[in-house]
Amino acid sequence: MISEQKERMLDILEYAINKVSLSSKDFLDIRYAYAMGESFTVRNGRFDSVSNQTTGGIAIRALIDNAWGFTTIVKTDKESILQAAEKAVKMARTGSKYTKQERSISDSWVFEGKGATTIEIDPRAVDKEAKFEKVVKTEKAAREYSDSIAESSSTYQESHGNEIIINSKGTKVENETHVIRIMKNIIGREGTKMQSVFDSAGGAGGWELIEKWDPEEEGLKAAVMAEKLLIAKEPPSGKMNVVMDPSLTGVFIHEAFGHACEADAIIAKTSVLEGRIGEKVGIEEINVYDDPTVKGLRGSFAYDSEGTKARKRVLVEGGFLKEYFHTLETATALGMEPNGSGRAMNFNVTPQARMGNTYVDGGEMKIEEIAEIAKDGVYLKDSYGGYVMPAKGQFYFSCQMGYFIENGEITDMMGNVGMSGMTLEVLQNTFAIGKPWEPAFEGTCGKGGQWVPVTGGGPNLAVSNLVVGGSK
Amino acid sequence: MSTEENLHDLAKYIIKYGTSLGADQVEAYTIFGSVKSIQIERGSIRRFTDTSNSGLGIRVIKDNAIGMASTTIFTEESLEKTVKDAYALAEVSPPDPNFKSLPYDPKAAPTISGRFDEAVVDISVEEFTDLILDSIQEATVRDDAIISGNFNAGIGERYILNSEGVDRFASQTSVSGYLGVKIQEGEDIGNAYYYDAATQMKNFDHIKIGTEAGLRSKKMLGSQKIETASLPILLDPDSAYGTISPILSSGINAFSVFNRTAFFVDKIGDAIASSKLTITDDPFIPEGTDSAGFDDEGVVPKKLTLVENGILQTYITDSYTAPLVGLENTGHASRSSFASRPQPSPYTMKIKAGSVSKDDLLTDMKEGIYLMSSSIHSRGDNPQVSAQINQGFYVKDGELQYPVKNAVIGCTIFEIFEKLENMSKETENRSGHEAPWMLLSPLRVSGGK
Repeated sequence: MISEQKERMLDILEYAINKVSLSSKDFLDIRYAYAMGESFTVRNGRFDSVSNQTTGGIAIRALIDNAWGFTTIVKTDKESILQAAEKAVKMARTGSKYTKQERSISDSWVFEGKGATTIEIDPRAVDKEAKFEKVVKTEKAAREYSDSIAESSSTYQESHGNEIIINSKGTKVENETHVIRIMKNIIGREGTKMQSVFDSAGGAGGWELIEKWDPEEEGLKAAVMAEKLLIAKEPPSGKMNVVMDPSLTGVFIHEAFGHACEADAIIAKTSVLEGRIGEKVGIEEINVYDDPTVKGLRGSFAYDSEGTKARKRVLVEGGFLKEYFHTLETATALGMEPNGSGRAMNFNVTPQARMGNTYVDGGEMKIEEIAEIAKDGVYLKDSYGGYVMPAKGQFYFSCQMGYFIENGEITDMMGNVGMSGMTLEVLQNTFAIGKPWEPAFEGTCGKGGQWVPVTGGGPNLAVSNLVVGGSK
Repeated sequence: MSTEENLHDLAKYIIKYGTSLGADQVEAYTIFGSVKSIQIERGSIRRFTDTSNSGLGIRVIKDNAIGMASTTIFTEESLEKTVKDAYALAEVSPPDPNFKSLPYDPKAAPTISGRFDEAVVDISVEEFTDLILDSIQEATVRDDAIISGNFNAGIGERYILNSEGVDRFASQTSVSGYLGVKIQEGEDIGNAYYYDAATQMKNFDHIKIGTEAGLRSKKMLGSQKIETASLPILLDPDSAYGTISPILSSGINAFSVFNRTAFFVDKIGDAIASSKLTITDDPFIPEGTDSAGFDDEGVVPKKLTLVENGILQTYITDSYTAPLVGLENTGHASRSSFASRPQPSPYTMKIKAGSVSKDDLLTDMKEGIYLMSSSIHSRGDNPQVSAQINQGFYVKDGELQYPVKNAVIGCTIFEIFEKLENMSKETENRSGHEAPWMLLSPLRVSGGK
């Protein structure tokens, strides 16, 4: 979107917000969001999806007398937007007759500025042939490795977004995001035994983030692992010591702790971490933070979808709970500072309190030392997703593969397995924090039907009493 | 062309414009949806939402190469750009030797009764709110119950046109809602939810949503960790459907069969489950939320017996995959969004009942686990299962003892199908999804005790 178009859109949004009749207590925001993306998938030697996607429209929220009204519109002329804004206000007024909670947005936080993801090489200027080559060669290298590779696929994705956000308190922000990703997913099969290997590279930025992806090497690496996993041992079952690699530490901290720190669940009283700021939730050595301002990471952005400037959040320091993820509403309700966590997937939905790049701080121990302390258990690697029920404080996450730890030694390889844990126990049960530290988990996080890019990571981390769900 | 014109005219224009660019075949898939939503937080209304959305997905075929593009912006400039984008992608993409043609199906799509209800369209915000407040009232099992949830009522329209002559339109109403209830006694948390969905307002049981969510939250108090053991599992109908349906969807869709990653590849005519399992897939159930007179490519589907007495009867196919697996097109093309390429997916499954009573299944269980709306999932194409028990109870001597926390079931999807030991004679039907209570012989359950 060129700057002239942005200026024109800003004028239109300001016209609407100034025309709507509001009291000083009321809140109205209008967010223009436009995004375009391109993606290709090659599967077993054939392109099975070559597509581009465009979405665009305007989201309007009103908070009047403790209730929200929300509507969207795709037309971008002044009068249509004004009409939609009045509709949002009317809905909020209707809702206010029924609400019992006190809700408002503080006047204290007004943001003005422009943010943009830094890109060195704009993917839109890169030839399609070069993009095709990355996925075609990745897929081919894996497929041709062995007959045991049942399915080889590789996907390329890029997306480019623009948001213009203004609100009745005075916020006026323009934000531009660029996210790029290349993925490989290899499935090995021998009879009824199947194992998947997934990995990806990319982040918030341009072609430079995947330029070094060596397709032959990446494809081969995945295929070799998939074949090894087909003859790996079955994972064990029961409560045991679990040592996680940086990728698994990433999904672990995201599910075990990150979601429970989202303040929309805190004000709704549906998180086990409600009211626990200042309480000890982990061992003294544990520090957890989330930082959407780290350059180049998938969960990075300059401003959130409410126009709040993003900043680093310190969730746990020295084992004590310090901070939640805030939207403007949750920060006002709890008397805390907003920290730029209000993310919306597109113009059709409202911002929610979300994570960006969530990490456990690194320690000093080598993996061999951790295994020695663990003595018996499992060393699990490469995240494979998870979920959490914050109200109950119970979470689940899974890995792609791992190794047994026997008598302090890392021994035989095992296949994928899932684990269950309790939010209020796991950080207390941490018994070793290692190195290296890596932002190794690159994911897409789902909440309330909205999907946003995130990362997670940390060091090798050891936790006792996790429940491992193997079949033996 | 403008947004004022209807989506059918717009789709026709897309076909014409794409063909004029030089495309061999063109398909336009357009949707329109309008939804009223009400969000509940701490037992009262938090937000009213009223949104209308449209989307257009285009497939263009040129020299057997496929290009796809989509947009939500319906200006003439945007629409023409979207067609050009799809055409340009088809031009630079390598040809797909497996692609035969976009489909044409001259059959008239059957009319399925009860798919549209004016009462859903016409309900006012105030009427909808009153209904939700009644539901919240039912869920308020204690003064300190924390109640959250969301309710939606809306209409969806779907147009599918292609250059081969497909020209279909369907509309459907939908009303749905869920409530989650949390109650707490010290560190002991009882947390549960319940949902319902219907095409007709008269079938939408908002009272049951509240009653069940409230009752279940009380039942979930007093949860305990259990020892790791191999235990039989009794699944309620919601858990049974939620376990069997995704396994079969992944296991018999012809796209995965062709790629050799389907669980049940080369298994037509073979036993894939215990002889107790018989499953049909019916696209035409009156008032069914997943019913449809045509699939997402415009082809009229067939009612199929998928598994009979444990023997796999067929795969489900669409226009692309049917020739690849040597079967006829069963009309099961499904898109996850207007922007997606279709893949085969089932409509509404019915799992056949057994002959024993559900009470006997429980009473006869010496020790085991009872799952309530908590299915045993595998992850995508992976047959290994490590599924957390989200709402489950430890059973001893035929009685529920306490809710289980921090436990995982570990097995493979093949074991689940083989270990179907018995089905109850009673079934539950939710929005057309029908299943009995289902008993599995022992599976490994990892506990946190």
